[in-house]
Amino acid sequence: MSPVVVLARKEAGELVLSPRGIAWLLAMAAALSVFGLLLVGNTELSLLDNAQVVYDMAGIVTALGALLAVVVGNDSIAGERERGSLMALLLTPISRAGLVTGKMGGLVIAWVLMFLIAVPYLWAVGSTGQNLVAAILGVALFGTPVVLSFGLFAMGLAARLGSSRSSLIATLIALLVSGSPVVLGPSLRQSAIGRMFDAINPFSGAVNAFDSVIIDSQPIAAQAGRLGLTIVWLALATWFAYSGVRRLAR
Amino acid sequence: MRARALAVTAIMACAAASADAAPLAIELSPSSANPNSPRMGDRLSFQSIIRNDGKTPVEGVIAWISLVQIDKGKEQPVDLEDWSAHKAVTIPTLAPGEAIRTDWPMRLIQAGMYRVVISAVSRDGPGLTASPFADFAVRQKPVVESARVVPIAFGLPGLLALLLFWRWRRS
Repeated sequence: MSPVVVLARKEAGELVLSPRGIAWLLAMAAALSVFGLLLVGNTELSLLDNAQVVYDMAGIVTALGALLAVVVGNDSIAGERERGSLMALLLTPISRAGLVTGKMGGLVIAWVLMFLIAVPYLWAVGSTGQNLVAAILGVALFGTPVVLSFGLFAMGLAARLGSSRSSLIATLIALLVSGSPVVLGPSLRQSAIGRMFDAINPFSGAVNAFDSVIIDSQPIAAQAGRLGLTIVWLALATWFAYSGVRRLAR
Repeated sequence: MRARALAVTAIMACAAASADAAPLAIELSPSSANPNSPRMGDRLSFQSIIRNDGKTPVEGVIAWISLVQIDKGKEQPVDLEDWSAHKAVTIPTLAPGEAIRTDWPMRLIQAGMYRVVISAVSRDGPGLTASPFADFAVRQKPVVESARVVPIAFGLPGLLALLLFWRWRRS
C-alpha cells in the first residue's frame, strides 16, 4: 500500500474514529442542533425566510468545516513538531509532497463525514424544500475548496512558523476575517472596499454562491466565476503548503 | 410608518376615485375553492369581473391587484412577486355591456390580516375604478418545523455521544 494512503488512513482514523475525533463531530453536531432549535417556534418568519435559514445553515457548516481544517492543518505539522514526532515522520520513506497529500487525505475524509452529518440538519430546517438540493450541492461544491484551502494554508503556515500557537492564532485570525461574510450580510459589504474584499475572498465566493442558488434560485452553473475563485485559492493554498513542507527537509 | 401611510393613502385614493370613475365596474369575490381557514403555504384565488356599463367601448384597460397587510402596527403593502400573484392584466377593448372575468391566484407567504383590491384604469377614462375590498386572514404555520428539527437536533448528537462513550470505554 502506498505510504500516502497509509498516512491518510492513519490521519482519518485519528480524526474520525478516535475519541478526540468523535468529540469534534459531537461538538459540530451540537452547534448545528442549537442553531436549529433556536429557529423552532419563531413565529416571525415568513415562508420566504425558510431559504434564508437554509442559507445560514450552509454558511455555518462551511465555517465549522474551515475551523476544523485550520486546527487539523496546524496540528499536522506544528502538533507533530511539539509532540517530537515530526523528525520521525520526515525520516519515513514518504516524499514531502506525499506527506502533505496524506495529511490532507485525512482532512478530506473528516470533511466528508462532517458534510454527511450536516445534510440531515439542512433537511430539517429546509421544511419547505425550496432549493434544498441546491443547498446541499452548493455546500459540497463551494464549501469543499474553502475548507481544504484553510487546511492547506494552516499546514503551510505551521511549517514556516516555529510555534504551534503562533501559527494557530495567525490562521484563526485569517479565518475570522475571511469568514466575516457569514455574519455580515451582503448589504453591509456594498462599499468599494467590501466589494473588493468579496471579489478576492474565497469565503465570500462560497457565501455569495449560497445566496444566489438558495435564496435567489439561480442555477449552480451560473456560479462558475465564484467556483473559480475558490479553486484558485485552493491552488494557491496547495502551493503554499507544499512549498512550506519542502522547507522542513532543509 | 411610511409604508403604513402609503397603504392608507392608496386605499383612500381607490375609494375616492371609484366614486367618480367612468363606465367601468369591478366585482371581486373569493374563489369557492379557497380553504375556509387558510394558512401559510396555501393558495388562494380571487375572481374579478370587469364590466363596461357605459354606452361606448372602453379602450386600453389595465387592471391590477393590490394587497395590503392590515394588522395593527404591521400595516404595509405586500410585495406581490413574493406572493406569486399576477400583477396586472390588459384588455385592449371592452365593448359596451361586455365583461371580462379574471382569476387572481396567490400563494400565502406570511401570517396576518390582509385586504385585496382590484383597480383599473383605461386609456381615456376620467379616473381610477376600484373593486370592493376582499379581506382574508392567513394562519401561522411554523417555517422551521419542530417535527423535523427536534429528532435530528437531539438524535444525531445523542448517537455521537453514544459512539464517543463506546470508544472511550474501549480505549
